[in-house]
Amino acid sequence: MEEKKKAAYRVGVIVLVVLFVLTIGEYFVAQIPGGVISVLFIIAIAKSWAIMKYFMHITSLWSEEGGH
Amino acid sequence: MSVATPYVEPAHHEHHELPYSEQLRNNRLGLWLFFTSEAFMFIGLLSSRFYLWGNTRPDLDQTLGLIVTSVLLVSSFFMNRAETAIAHDDRPEFLRSLLITAALGIAFLVGVVGFEWQGHIGPSDGAYGAVLFGMTGMHALHVVSGVIFILIVWNNGRKGSFSAERHWGVEACAIWWHYVDLVWVFFYPALYLMGHVVHG
Amino acid sequence: MILSLGLVRGVIGMIIGAILGMAVTMLIRIGMGLAAWGMEPVSVVGALVGSIGFLLGVGVLTDWIKWMQGKPTPMRHGPPEGKPAWTRYFGTDYNHKVIGIQYTVTGIALLFVAGTLALTFRLELVQPELQYIDTNTFNTFVGAHGIVMIGAILMGVGGLMNYLVPLMIGASDMAFPRLNAFGYWVAVPGALLIVTGIFVGGWDTGWTGYPPLSARAPLGVQMFFLGVYLIGLSSIVGSVNLLTTVTRMRTPGMSLFRMPIFVWAAVATSIIQLTATQLIGLSFLMVLIQRLLGMGFFDPNLTEHAIELNSPPGNVILFQHLFWFYSHPAVYVFILPGLGIISELLPVFCRKPLFGYKWIALSSITIALVGFLVWAHHMFAAGMEDYLRVPFMFATLLVAVPTGVKFFSWTGTLWRGKITLETPMLFVLGSISVFLIGGLTGPPNGTVSTDLFLHDTYWIVGHFHATMFGGFFFPFIAAVYYWFPKVTGRMYDERLGKIHFWISVPGFWVQSLTQAYIGLHGMRRRIADYDPALGIQTGHVLITIAGFAIGISMIIFVYNLVVSARRGEVAVANPWGSRSPEFQIPSPIPEHSYAQPFVVVGEPYDYALPGSTYVNMNPAGLAAGGGGGGGGGGGK
Ligand code: HEM
Ligand SMILES: [Cu+2]
Repeated sequence: MEEKKKAAYRVGVIVLVVLFVLTIGEYFVAQIPGGVISVLFIIAIAKSWAIMKYFMHITSLWSEEGGH
Repeated sequence: MSVATPYVEPAHHEHHELPYSEQLRNNRLGLWLFFTSEAFMFIGLLSSRFYLWGNTRPDLDQTLGLIVTSVLLVSSFFMNRAETAIAHDDRPEFLRSLLITAALGIAFLVGVVGFEWQGHIGPSDGAYGAVLFGMTGMHALHVVSGVIFILIVWNNGRKGSFSAERHWGVEACAIWWHYVDLVWVFFYPALYLMGHVVHG
Repeated sequence: MILSLGLVRGVIGMIIGAILGMAVTMLIRIGMGLAAWGMEPVSVVGALVGSIGFLLGVGVLTDWIKWMQGKPTPMRHGPPEGKPAWTRYFGTDYNHKVIGIQYTVTGIALLFVAGTLALTFRLELVQPELQYIDTNTFNTFVGAHGIVMIGAILMGVGGLMNYLVPLMIGASDMAFPRLNAFGYWVAVPGALLIVTGIFVGGWDTGWTGYPPLSARAPLGVQMFFLGVYLIGLSSIVGSVNLLTTVTRMRTPGMSLFRMPIFVWAAVATSIIQLTATQLIGLSFLMVLIQRLLGMGFFDPNLTEHAIELNSPPGNVILFQHLFWFYSHPAVYVFILPGLGIISELLPVFCRKPLFGYKWIALSSITIALVGFLVWAHHMFAAGMEDYLRVPFMFATLLVAVPTGVKFFSWTGTLWRGKITLETPMLFVLGSISVFLIGGLTGPPNGTVSTDLFLHDTYWIVGHFHATMFGGFFFPFIAAVYYWFPKVTGRMYDERLGKIHFWISVPGFWVQSLTQAYIGLHGMRRRIADYDPALGIQTGHVLITIAGFAIGISMIIFVYNLVVSARRGEVAVANPWGSRSPEFQIPSPIPEHSYAQPFVVVGEPYDYALPGSTYVNMNPAGLAAGGGGGGGGGGGK
């Protein structure tokens, strides 16, 4: 139980770090002049995917055991 | 989205009442369908931004944008922490994280409404003003609803309404909050980063 | 006590809420140093708070509020305690069958409101020039007729889907009964607001509410926007409920391709309602706040300051894109359930399998999806981006393919059937004939070169009335007659039903064909007056007479329903020999529909195939009783 809990908290930290790095990345991509809208969109999609998978547990919609 | 899943088992459990696990899965699907619906509204706003602004954007305070975005991200982290905590019966951590999430949500609102909205662009300043206030306003309304939801769940949690096995209310609140964050993941670059500032 | 009726409490709540909302806005305005009375903001906030007051009064929010306070909220079943059973229809009730009837009856009531508006302006059009009403009233009535009819149709669709779908798939109820009740009741203040709009200045924009006109129209347009917003919310939560129910609550053996065909139509409809509705809501909301706060989404003018900021101006075409992104798919929301009813009823009255079941099922989904790609065919003449014209023309003509599939299947089903012509079947055949008129007048509008001439003429009016009458209205009437014995336990009067048919369907042929005809001769739509030299006055007279005939036939219809529900002949459980599960249980259907879950063991429409069974009402070999075999007169 304790182990599992720690692991679950750790996932949260990792996702936060990844999202943060991507956000800073966006910020700097935007400083490059010209032609960056598509890159920004791709980063945004990556971020939203991480949020949906790890924070919103989208897989619990179809996985059988029903999340937690 | 029948939020009304009572913690207390109704005394007369008749055969046509769905078992909790079934109702839980229905609830999840229902809430995600509602997200899909809302997504169309937010996509409509995003499309309006590209239709009206094209490849330009107004000159907004970049630091402010980065700060509010980070605040919302961190709030999502704490929301996730709260949900994880209740799933493992860690009640104090659950309540603490919820309050931090709500506080960060309010900080986000202060950033948008208290600072961004007081800047040099007003709502009636052409398409820049309309779209900026339209998008941030619609998003802010959702943030407000999320903060209220969090406070209700916190209050019920304090009274012991949720358990590791039964906490659909917390789960719904959590994914609603993450959804609001997710919308901002697209709104932030669309408002602050995409396109170039036209200098007169 | 009259106060025990939810509806009455709702209306009182609405009035109190409106007064409260207006008072608070005035106080805030005084606090901001403005004049207390600002017509628009005060009324809009009043309308909003009033609608919340309505919902509180009716009691659909009660359980949710209790949940927020951490109190238990056990599910209520059956009629309210200590009150007569009929009162449940006027208050919050969680049974899908009650909600289905609430929707249906509200829909029929709105049909009468909208019909009365239409007959009024039809009288005006009997002669050139103005006789009875002024131009603003004329315009308001045209717009109100359109939008109230749309509300009526959405209510009718909601009624059919809520009543029938859980029964057809063997679910105990909808997935979210409280949300279901909310979905119905939130539409009621919506309809009330729209009607209020007529009295507070009206609106001269038609049902489409295009800016820049709607940005300057009288106050009524704000009530119209808010009302549509609430009815849209009703559509959205209803579709969330329906899609969840069909996905998760089908009875054992009910695989996707064994669902009654109407369920497929309901799913396709709900996909559209779930997603597209947000866009009409958004587009109306944008105009609403443009008027309130000066946010110029659709305003081509720029302020000094905006020019300094190098801001681009607003653009009215944006509104049309957002609006039609809903409002084209919305026409499929109206017709898909109706076409589903046609496909559902034909095999029963032909005693033959439905021709091409899978094709019909998939064509509903295809129509729904392709329907998302055609919206700009309403904008060919609007000054839209030129390069969009041809792609949208092709996409539009593409939708005719799945629609054609349906006609093909209906013909195939009718072919060599043992047809009997009871009232529901008459209306099904009438629907097909009328929908054919609508379908044939569509492609010329979808073709850019011809549409530039047809746009905004009565031809278009003829076109869409034929599609809606053939695709929704007549099938809806057929459905009401068909399920009436199931709902009430009594038969309607067959003779009156036939009279209803022989007045309304031919009346409608005259109406829509004449509309198309005078359109080709130069009659413009939504205009109160016309040039007698066009030679179209006879046409206008004919249309008005046909309109009144249809109105009278509707009175006969309602009379028939009301009288038969009380004194009609007692109906048997399965008067049509249907194989559908809801016809295998007693009429009227008991509170909890099925005593035990049934099992699907065969194909739904194998009429006249000896020995074939669709549902087994008594699985696990229980002794017979209750349902009886599911063959449902399959060999008749
Ligand atoms: C064969 C299929 C169809 C085609 C190709 C078609 C095409 C069109 C086009 C191009 C227009 C715009 C005309 C104009 O304003 O210039 C139009 C108007 C309209 N159609 Fe259809 N249509 C079809 C079927 C339907 C169906 C099934 C409905 C359903 C109820 C429908 C309802 C309407 C309505 C309500 C309008 C008028 C909207 C307004 O301006 O107020 N149509 N149709
Ligand atoms: Cu269309």
